[in-house]
Amino acid sequence: MRAPSRPETAPAPLRLQGLTWRPLTRREPTIAGLDLEIPAGQRVLLAGASGSGKSTVLRALAGLLDPETGEGSGLAPAPARPGERGLLLQNPAHALVAASVGRDAAFGPENAALPRSEIRARADDALAAARVDLDPSRAPLEASGGQQQRVALAGALALGPDLLLLDEPTSMLDAATSQQVRTAILEAARDRTLVLAEHRIEPWLPHVDRLVVLGPQAEVLADGEPLALLRERRALLVEAGVVEENGDRSTSADGAAGAAHDGPVVAALRGVTVPARGLRDTIDLEVPSGRITVLTGPSGAGKTTALRVMLGATAPATGSVERPERERIASVPQNPEHSFVARTVREEVLASPWAGDEQFAAQLLDRSGLAHLAGAHPSRLSGGEQRRVAIVAALAQRPSLLALDEPTVGLDARRRREVRDLLTEAAAQGCAVLVASHDPELIDHAHETLVLPASAEPAAPSARARRIPADALNPLTLCLIGILAALGSFAVQTWQGGLLALLPLALLAPLAVRTLRGGLLRLVPILLSAAGLAWTTALLGEAPALSGDAWLLGLKEAARIMVFVAPGVLALGSVEVTALGDALGGRLRLPARPVAAAVVALVRVGHLGRQWEIITRTRVQRGLGSPASPRLLASSTLALLVDTLRGAEQQALAMDSRGFATATQRTWAEPSRLSRADLVGTALAVGLLVWPLAAELIVR
Amino acid sequence: MTRFRTVDLLVTVLIGAAFGVAFLGYGQLYTLIGPLTAVFKPAEGLLAGIWFLPAVLAALIVRKPGAALLAEMIAAVLEMLLGGQWGWGTAVSGLLQGGGVELAFALLRYRRFTLPVAMLGGACAGMLEWVWERFAYYPEMSWTFAVMLLAAFLLSGAVLGGALGWAASRALAATGAVDSLASGREHARTVEA
Repeated sequence: MRAPSRPETAPAPLRLQGLTWRPLTRREPTIAGLDLEIPAGQRVLLAGASGSGKSTVLRALAGLLDPETGEGSGLAPAPARPGERGLLLQNPAHALVAASVGRDAAFGPENAALPRSEIRARADDALAAARVDLDPSRAPLEASGGQQQRVALAGALALGPDLLLLDEPTSMLDAATSQQVRTAILEAARDRTLVLAEHRIEPWLPHVDRLVVLGPQAEVLADGEPLALLRERRALLVEAGVVEENGDRSTSADGAAGAAHDGPVVAALRGVTVPARGLRDTIDLEVPSGRITVLTGPSGAGKTTALRVMLGATAPATGSVERPERERIASVPQNPEHSFVARTVREEVLASPWAGDEQFAAQLLDRSGLAHLAGAHPSRLSGGEQRRVAIVAALAQRPSLLALDEPTVGLDARRRREVRDLLTEAAAQGCAVLVASHDPELIDHAHETLVLPASAEPAAPSARARRIPADALNPLTLCLIGILAALGSFAVQTWQGGLLALLPLALLAPLAVRTLRGGLLRLVPILLSAAGLAWTTALLGEAPALSGDAWLLGLKEAARIMVFVAPGVLALGSVEVTALGDALGGRLRLPARPVAAAVVALVRVGHLGRQWEIITRTRVQRGLGSPASPRLLASSTLALLVDTLRGAEQQALAMDSRGFATATQRTWAEPSRLSRADLVGTALAVGLLVWPLAAELIVR
Repeated sequence: MTRFRTVDLLVTVLIGAAFGVAFLGYGQLYTLIGPLTAVFKPAEGLLAGIWFLPAVLAALIVRKPGAALLAEMIAAVLEMLLGGQWGWGTAVSGLLQGGGVELAFALLRYRRFTLPVAMLGGACAGMLEWVWERFAYYPEMSWTFAVMLLAAFLLSGAVLGGALGWAASRALAATGAVDSLASGREHARTVEA
């Protein structure tokens, strides 16, 4: 199996000459004069501490530095054809654009306006070449991180790139999954140029031809054959934060163990299972104070679920949970920004009502090396600093249990050590520290480790939904039914006419209702709002309030509003976002980019809902209010927007690397078919338009 | 610059989608004022402004013609697909609310993105939404109460839609999440100055 073919001409070497770049929002350039030439076919590893400008260099090589957001010189030209230079980002979720794996791989070819048959062939080949072993109908945003990164790789390969640019593609994955993704990437890059930025360089070293070490502002500190550099310039690599000093791990771990004593058990899971979330084998876990306990295991084993059970966010199916009272538990979510509520680090640390001691907070900031940032905005800090601020804010509560979800993921060696030191310190103070993590250094460092076994089977794809007659209709027809029925409802003039106008609804509803529960979920809100309207009309109408006439008027209004909304609400139940996009873009020829972008946003709704749940729960856990408090809702909305908009920037980059910027004439992988059923549907729509008028004539 | 870069387009539609999700959590706000609205329905208009937030925020952050309308339409379409009780009425509301906000910024030729314009936008959205609700949902309501409803919509649109949206856009700029967008660049200039 090979990746889709590329043009036969040999690509020229890639060259950056005197590259400078300063984002308009910064005073200092992130790249101050970089010369780099990469011969075709070379495999280059870019290394350097966080903030050395690796990501910017990759964006420059991709030709995706946007002159509207910064000023620079020596910029590479934009790609000559869509997807000429493939780009993979650290968080694979940012690369995903579609509701299914198959459509995701088709996104690039669609942007390149390829014919439908070729889109399909390219998507299939790319999925095979990237070793994606998921059913093409699966939702990529619900797959594991490793699968997601391979789906993202397939998305790049589908356009036959000459060059693959990878920005820390495995930094969020556990060791075993990283290995699989690495194999897929190296396989795919066999006959291509490869430029890769990574924090953990060791696993890549045997596979690359050249190591380039970058210092601040992308200054080239070292450039040469990887193993030679590692041998001869080790001190420089350690100083640049690219490799860890030997022996560093054992000393700190022993130090921690020496300082702590076996404390009493402050929290425990006993015989817990949560099969619905993948935790099938019984977990027994005791978390003693003064110790660091790590929950680990392959991705999908249920680390996060076990943590959620411990925090009371998920109820266990079996077993029991022991935990301290609410104000003695502090937790730090995987994305520290999800917990932030304040405008300065100082206020952030004191935000919880259970963290009132200013002196203690100042001490904590001091000891964790954050004192100089006390006046800074938490969201403006680097990823490593944000993690430490979130941990310090948790410790300011003086918790007896501190629970953290992947606190070192995505950080470079130095930042990982800083986080570890902070956890050691917390344990030394007598806190029980519980961490879900796949970081091998953190696991080495822990006092106790519980390895969760791999989940017996990946979460089964949801059972095929029952087919209903409405499924045979094009989304446009389903929309037409709702729109014409709504228009027709304005003919309702009397309560008798209104009730008669409801008749076809009762007859047609079963054709559009998949399950009884689903149908009720859609109909009950309508009934409630119709009842509300009847009451309002009876109370506030022109007739004397709550008189017999007023109630009949209210009944008419209730019937009318149901004739107005119900057909649309039921028909929309069968509309899928992707099919709607195909219809609006491919069939109605609405502007392609806004339609495609709208689909990208709407397929993320489930993902956004999960973020919302984490954000609100983290705030409730910090004691900042109930889920119904306006203040908590406002701060949660802001946090969701921050998360979403940061992601939008990465997503835009990933989409542009797949040719979206120029996709004004894109094609659509699936045809939006109109069939005989749609004729019947249209006739129904017209029927619903005129029936209320006919009903009025009948009762008159 | 009126061209939508990919990032402008995505930020716009994602603001719509994020609010679609957040709105599900806002339902609880209505229970807070439940006792009031049960007796006097027009009081519910006092919360109307929060529905205009996607439009106000998109206009203030992206600063391009059409952003307000597109963001509000995405939020409306999402609500419809999830089974919101107003069916296709939601699409009309989205069109009018997004269009109302758009109108205020268009009147000033997309050159001013200040608090007064945002409040005007919220009020315009409230005005148009009232016309629609008067016509589609409350045709039998007496004029006295309908005018009270209008006052509630205008007030709520200007305060909860306009002013709150403006405050949220400032808070977002401070986090750095909009640095690659027009509003983020302005924030950087004012901080440096």
